[in-house]
Amino acid sequence: MIISKSQFLFIVAVMLAAYYMVVGVYMNHWGYYNQESIFYIEKTKIIFEGLGNRIKVMGLTAPLLPFYCAIIFSSISTFLAPVIASALGTAALFYIITSAMNTRIKNDDFYVCMVAILFFFHPGMLYVATSGKAIYLVLIFFFLFFFNLLKFYRSNTTFHVSLASMSLVTLIFCDYKFIWICLFFIPLVLAITLQSLNLGEKESIFRLFLSFNSPSLRRKLVGKTFAIYIILFILPIASVISYKLLNLTHASDLDYFIESPYATWNVLVDKLNYDMSTAATNYQLPDLSILVSVRVIYFCPLILVAIYLFRESTYQALTILTPFAFVEFLHIKYDKLFLTYEYYLIFLILALLCLIFKAKTVKNQKLFKPIVFIVVLMQLYTGYIFLSKSFIHDEKSFITTLINRKPNTDQNEIMEVSAYINSLPKNSHVLMDDAIAYPIAAFTDDIKRLTLPYQNVFLSAIETPYHYDDYILVATPKNPFTGYTQLNNKYIPLIRVVNSGVNYKRVFETDCWILYKIIAIQ
Amino acid sequence: MSISIPELLVNDGFITPGDQEKIKKFSEKSGMSYVKIALNFGYISRKNYDRSLSNAGYHFAPIREEAFDPEVLKKVELKFANDHVALPLRIENNRVITLMTDPTNQLFLDFIRFTFDMEPEVIVAYDLDITWLSHKLLGQKYVKASVYELLRRDPKSSASITFTTPQLVFIFSLLAIIAIGMVLSFKNTSIIINVIISMFFLVAIIFKLFLALVGSRFELHQAVTKEEVHHIVDAELPPYTVLLPVYKEDKLIKKLIWNLQSLDYPREQLDVKLLIEEDDDKTLQAVQNLDFPAVFEVIVVPFHMPKTKPKACNYGLHFSRGKYLTIYDAEDIPDTDQLKKVIALFAKLPEHYICIQSALNYFNRNENFLTRMFTLEYSYWFDYMLPGLDTLDIPIPLGGTSNHFKMDALIELGAWDPFNVTEDADLGVRAYAKGYKVAIINSTTYEEANNDPINWIRQRSRWIKGYMQTYLVHMRNPVGLVKKIGWKGFMGFNFFIGATSATFLVYPLLLAIFICYLVFDFSTIRSLFPDWVLFMAIFNLMVGNILMIYVNMMAVFKRRYFELILFAIANPVYWLMHSAAAYMGLYQLITNPFYWEKTHHGLSKVNNPTNVVK
Repeated sequence: MIISKSQFLFIVAVMLAAYYMVVGVYMNHWGYYNQESIFYIEKTKIIFEGLGNRIKVMGLTAPLLPFYCAIIFSSISTFLAPVIASALGTAALFYIITSAMNTRIKNDDFYVCMVAILFFFHPGMLYVATSGKAIYLVLIFFFLFFFNLLKFYRSNTTFHVSLASMSLVTLIFCDYKFIWICLFFIPLVLAITLQSLNLGEKESIFRLFLSFNSPSLRRKLVGKTFAIYIILFILPIASVISYKLLNLTHASDLDYFIESPYATWNVLVDKLNYDMSTAATNYQLPDLSILVSVRVIYFCPLILVAIYLFRESTYQALTILTPFAFVEFLHIKYDKLFLTYEYYLIFLILALLCLIFKAKTVKNQKLFKPIVFIVVLMQLYTGYIFLSKSFIHDEKSFITTLINRKPNTDQNEIMEVSAYINSLPKNSHVLMDDAIAYPIAAFTDDIKRLTLPYQNVFLSAIETPYHYDDYILVATPKNPFTGYTQLNNKYIPLIRVVNSGVNYKRVFETDCWILYKIIAIQ
Repeated sequence: MSISIPELLVNDGFITPGDQEKIKKFSEKSGMSYVKIALNFGYISRKNYDRSLSNAGYHFAPIREEAFDPEVLKKVELKFANDHVALPLRIENNRVITLMTDPTNQLFLDFIRFTFDMEPEVIVAYDLDITWLSHKLLGQKYVKASVYELLRRDPKSSASITFTTPQLVFIFSLLAIIAIGMVLSFKNTSIIINVIISMFFLVAIIFKLFLALVGSRFELHQAVTKEEVHHIVDAELPPYTVLLPVYKEDKLIKKLIWNLQSLDYPREQLDVKLLIEEDDDKTLQAVQNLDFPAVFEVIVVPFHMPKTKPKACNYGLHFSRGKYLTIYDAEDIPDTDQLKKVIALFAKLPEHYICIQSALNYFNRNENFLTRMFTLEYSYWFDYMLPGLDTLDIPIPLGGTSNHFKMDALIELGAWDPFNVTEDADLGVRAYAKGYKVAIINSTTYEEANNDPINWIRQRSRWIKGYMQTYLVHMRNPVGLVKKIGWKGFMGFNFFIGATSATFLVYPLLLAIFICYLVFDFSTIRSLFPDWVLFMAIFNLMVGNILMIYVNMMAVFKRRYFELILFAIANPVYWLMHSAAAYMGLYQLITNPFYWEKTHHGLSKVNNPTNVVK
């Protein structure tokens, strides 16, 4: 039986998915979890097993799409669901890229092999596929966004610009920070429209001059530019506004989904990363602004090849440079944070995208292919270096676990607390605040036993815990997130004042957590 | 008075000797009389004809009230009378009283002498009056065929019965189940209905988005290129029938002639039929009073219920001589090369493609809010949705005009259903069910967008009623339909034809619930929306509305109507008008299913230039 090339690529993608799954389960076995996947696990448990007002959790947990993708696989295993999602998603990305490559570069498997090498061996891609984080979705939609945009430049059809717009929406709902990429497309769209006008003049600046000095051309230029803005940005803008309004009506805060630790894992993790880096023995400043682009090139030299390929197409080249401006912007806007691995990986995807469009146009393939091959090998190394030297705990911890093949102890304390809660009598209830205790809630067997903030009774339980619960989980002052919860070391003395007829006994204690048992004296 | 009328017209300078020759040749070839051709193929205006004959001493008599003898009429065939614009009425004083526009038409005079064995006594009359009388007196056979032919040949495809017994049983059983459910558990039943409606809405919207995307993918595809049109040889073109069903469109007749004359097609090969209802004196008078030559032949459709456009078209079909046939409305401005493009496309397509639909759009789009919304809707429908359906091989509901048929296939299908008020949509589905295909062409006909809200609602109510009729007709045997058009076609039919009316009916209800939820009492409505249902409903409301607006925004791109893009945001208001029309349509479907809600044309004040394609 002869199989077609696309069938072959599909089989490779399935093998890749299986490979990722094995590595993911293996990492899981060694106890590697990251905050993001644990967050999804806990929210999934609330949706399927919780009691009370779950609509807010369903609708306002962010980022929305990765969360839903994890939910899809929760029927297989709640704990492995994010890993399964990322493994399958990354394999799907491989298939999308290689299929596009297959369509555009016929009879030459070299580039597909390069993509396969990257997806099989690049530590960054392994991290994407096996960590359970949402990076895989970001990469997929980032790829689709730019892919359709570049196609639109050629075809000038509504189809591609609409698909680009839809990809942008999904990208934003995978990582809200990508909303800022729109900023850099505002001048670009004008350039694109200018290019699409039917003028004899070829030079952009003269085209602009011509268009602005003829009333009919000016009207055409303004009309078309505005229409492309609308068709490209109306969906993301309308979706974000609608989503913010939903946040306002259901959580009384427009930015609940990006600012509340109940809605997203980012708030606490960003704080933790910042605290850890600033409190480290060797104080590390986040990178200097100009160095970000240099670091990107160091991480992904292939992007230089990509820019070279588009050197003769002004606005395509500008489009490829847009993500540079975007990451520089992120770096300035979130100046206290390190750029996560995700924002470097987008350049890897972008470089592959450029190869898809332009690799076949290079005349001297004998020279070009070895260059690409060497650059790809270099990237495997830089990919490793960037992970192992990362200041972000989840990233460094991943590569350490993978290389050392020793149990990861990051979640030990959490496991201990949740094991103790699991061992409590079946009908006992525990009051906890999953703003910071979501990992404990995630590892608790029966989430129905927990009184959590999504439930309407939570506020009453905080006021009079003895009416609702048997235990209270409190964060110690050592807990880095103690400031984010009401259930901290100040809570017990306060509640004692309110009702002196109730006593609170420490039954379990770790560095960051204390579990109190509520004992009614009267 | 020995001079013949053709000679008279040449002598008076109304017809050139060159044209004289052309007319005579065409007359020999087609069997039509000289005067029929002269008056209907743009050689002489009726006023000049009247002037010429009056100067020669002829007097045009009013003939509509003339007595007639059925026995005399039996001996003449309508088509023959129609071709010669002459009609024998009765025998008086041993002479056959005969109405003639050209009293010197020897062929017809000889026919009278030979048939009745008597000399004729000629009453000279206007050709339109003779046409009117001859169709009224002799057209009964044809008009009956127009009404009952489909019902006789294929009763299952006829909408003469709106609801079949199994359909009524199904509808009332469903209502009974809902009522029982409401009594037993109001909350749970409401939730189930809620979920079904929500799911249905979401799937319908996503399906439409998908179709629009598929359609937009091929927006630059040229089914027929300019070069292909240039390569067509005029002498090889087949006769092409253009049907123009009109009713009280007297104001549009002059525009109509202008538009028809602009068509790039050999004049003699164009068989244009203006179909006028028997009681429509206004339009007939407008044609009579034209100052310039007409380029169409008037066919008077005798009175018979139902008084619908498809019945008129079926009637016109009996007198058509084209190999291909299309329908235009009176105010339509087709691209001038449309007919040639159709010929070129038919030549390229496989044999089972029997119909080609052109895009429709509006020339008065910037007239007011309604025309802008209408233009957005049509652009999205004809530029993206129909090409999307075409690509996915799903039945295409044909648009009201500018659908071009192969004549023999149209007749084989049983032509239009006179009982269906959107006969075009029905015919599209029927063609698919018989294994035929419809294609879309890159040519546009510009129409007049309805600029009056009441007129708009009346028109739309008819369309939605017709969609309901079409849905009911083809869903009489769902299993049979699946077998005929496959699952893809079946689902497409349900979501495209069925869902269109259903969504408009449900939309105001959902909107009302949403407004009540926001304004009045949260808790009562909340009980009908458990968390997950509420989540779905909110998702639908947000995503559904945004997507539908977005799809409409996409529509302006192909046509470069960039100034309309923001009007797409007003779609929720526009849908409310659809809903009003849908309820009106539903009411009429039950009370008066065959009633043709007439759309008034000619309300636009916008000047409409001909769309010349170079």
